Amino acid sequence: MSFYLPSLRGHASRFLTRPATLTSTPFFSPPTTATTSTQCLFAPSTRAVAFSTTPSPLAPPNAKNKGTGKPGKPGAGGKLKPGSKPAKKKGKGKGKGGEEQIDPRFINMMRHLAVLSPKRIPPPLRMGRNRHLRHWTIHRAWLLFRRRERDARERNLQRQYQSMHAAMEELRLTSGPGTRDEGYLYRVATEKKGVYGLHGVPIEYARAQTETPARVAWNHDWKR
Amino acid sequence: MMSAPGRGSALLRSSQRVCSQCTRPAAPRIRTTPPIPRSLPSPAILPLTSRRYYAAEATAATPVSQPTSPPPVSTTTAPEPSPSPGSQYRIKSGLILTRPPLLTRDPTPFETAFYLYQKRLNERLTAPFRRAFYFKPDTATDLDFGIKLEERHGVPAKDIGRYNPRSRMGWNDEVLVGSTTSTREHMMDRLLRDAELRVSEDGEPVAADERVPVERPMPRRTEADDKGDVRRLDRALDRTLYLVVRRGGEGEGAAWEFPTGPVRTEEMLHETAARVLSESAGVNMNTWIVGRVPVAHHVVKPVLGGGGDASSVLQPGEKTFFLKGRIMAGQADLAGNKHGLTDFKWLTDEELQEVLSEDYYHSVRGMMELR
Repeated sequence: MSFYLPSLRGHASRFLTRPATLTSTPFFSPPTTATTSTQCLFAPSTRAVAFSTTPSPLAPPNAKNKGTGKPGKPGAGGKLKPGSKPAKKKGKGKGKGGEEQIDPRFINMMRHLAVLSPKRIPPPLRMGRNRHLRHWTIHRAWLLFRRRERDARERNLQRQYQSMHAAMEELRLTSGPGTRDEGYLYRVATEKKGVYGLHGVPIEYARAQTETPARVAWNHDWKR
Repeated sequence: MMSAPGRGSALLRSSQRVCSQCTRPAAPRIRTTPPIPRSLPSPAILPLTSRRYYAAEATAATPVSQPTSPPPVSTTTAPEPSPSPGSQYRIKSGLILTRPPLLTRDPTPFETAFYLYQKRLNERLTAPFRRAFYFKPDTATDLDFGIKLEERHGVPAKDIGRYNPRSRMGWNDEVLVGSTTSTREHMMDRLLRDAELRVSEDGEPVAADERVPVERPMPRRTEADDKGDVRRLDRALDRTLYLVVRRGGEGEGAAWEFPTGPVRTEEMLHETAARVLSESAGVNMNTWIVGRVPVAHHVVKPVLGGGGDASSVLQPGEKTFFLKGRIMAGQADLAGNKHGLTDFKWLTDEELQEVLSEDYYHSVRGMMELR
């Protein structure tokens, strides 16, 4: 079980307000996984790239260094200063004499992902009483707004459905044109011919709503 | 909750989900000409045993002497005895042709303010922007970004105004009342200014007079909006437009309505609607009729003769069933139409309310969209 001293630099209180699991070591390999012996110094990568399929120049060193690494400093997990190279890599580079250079794009990406480590994610907000009350009010107002939108949408759908239902009920009791018996038009209206299938809906002409119109908003000159 | 027809009431009685009223077999119903109430009618709740979703038994329920045998196919036989004139209606099919909205709706002031509030909170809670990840150092785009970042006083986000969550004043994330930072115009202006290139491809900064401005998006209010031209389809782009036509010349006799025509014996509702549309408004419209099911109906009762005598009909009743259609391109053209139509308009639902007669609008208002 690896421990590390939580750093008290920055805001120490952020560790008090976070749930306990975040201060434990989720990114360190538990004893059961295959990469136990290696310690990845890029915190989030251990489990994710343990069985990586990326080509060798981009693959992390762990995939190749199974069983050879000594337990490095687990406390340094994810702790990367912008200019420094990780100790493990330095050792490997020195040892191999620079044969396998790590792709700088990979380093860039891992530094970007290192921000996901528990030490680097921004702390939860702390607000004064009035500020919190304003936030709570805004939140309640937003929920109310969304509820009203949702209810209006549902009422509209209900109205449309009831209009259709009433029309069909009227149709069902209607004697058709000429010699058609009662409900003939109703029965043919409920058939589903051409409704589903390949040419049911002309999606080629579907157009999403946008914030601003096209240069020619509507083609009035369309000819058959 | 659908039940398969033919399910016996014994089975239903044992089911716990069915009320006792529904398990009782249907009482015989006396059918007269059903009066159509003003409000949206709810269908009479039949017991489940006799509730059907098709009209197989419809002929059995009518009391009038309609023959139960299928109607004669050949035209030489005598026509079947006609039912009472009071229950005869002419069946018409109409098409409500809609142009759905092309634009999203305008956000409310609360929404715009809320989105800015959320963006600033997001800025406080997410990882800081890493320039080195997105821009390779010492490339033209990186220099360009650097110039623009400095103009924004070091704020990577383009639409939150001047706010740095990691500074001394990081607590001050709320804008003051009356601020224009959240408005669409301000945001669009900032984004368009940011889209200009400030560094040429070879890394030289572009002079102020040589900067190429980015093409601005078209305004949401079009020319047709400003002129109020109700015959054009690029008006009111954030609303649904409905096609209405005028039957008869100008003056008192004219009636605005949706394109309608009587259903022929060999036709179905959707076929009639398509035919009526091409006859009324021309074929130069790319339209699609949504299925076969009508979305609204309008009933005009027959005008019977005086003295309470139901046998003389002055004016037969009409039942119009409207189908929904959508137009994707083109324009209506009434030249050479076969229904005596003199004018057409594309109107929003509020404008429709002013133009259509009250009971007509009442019948169709259920199918209208929210906007």
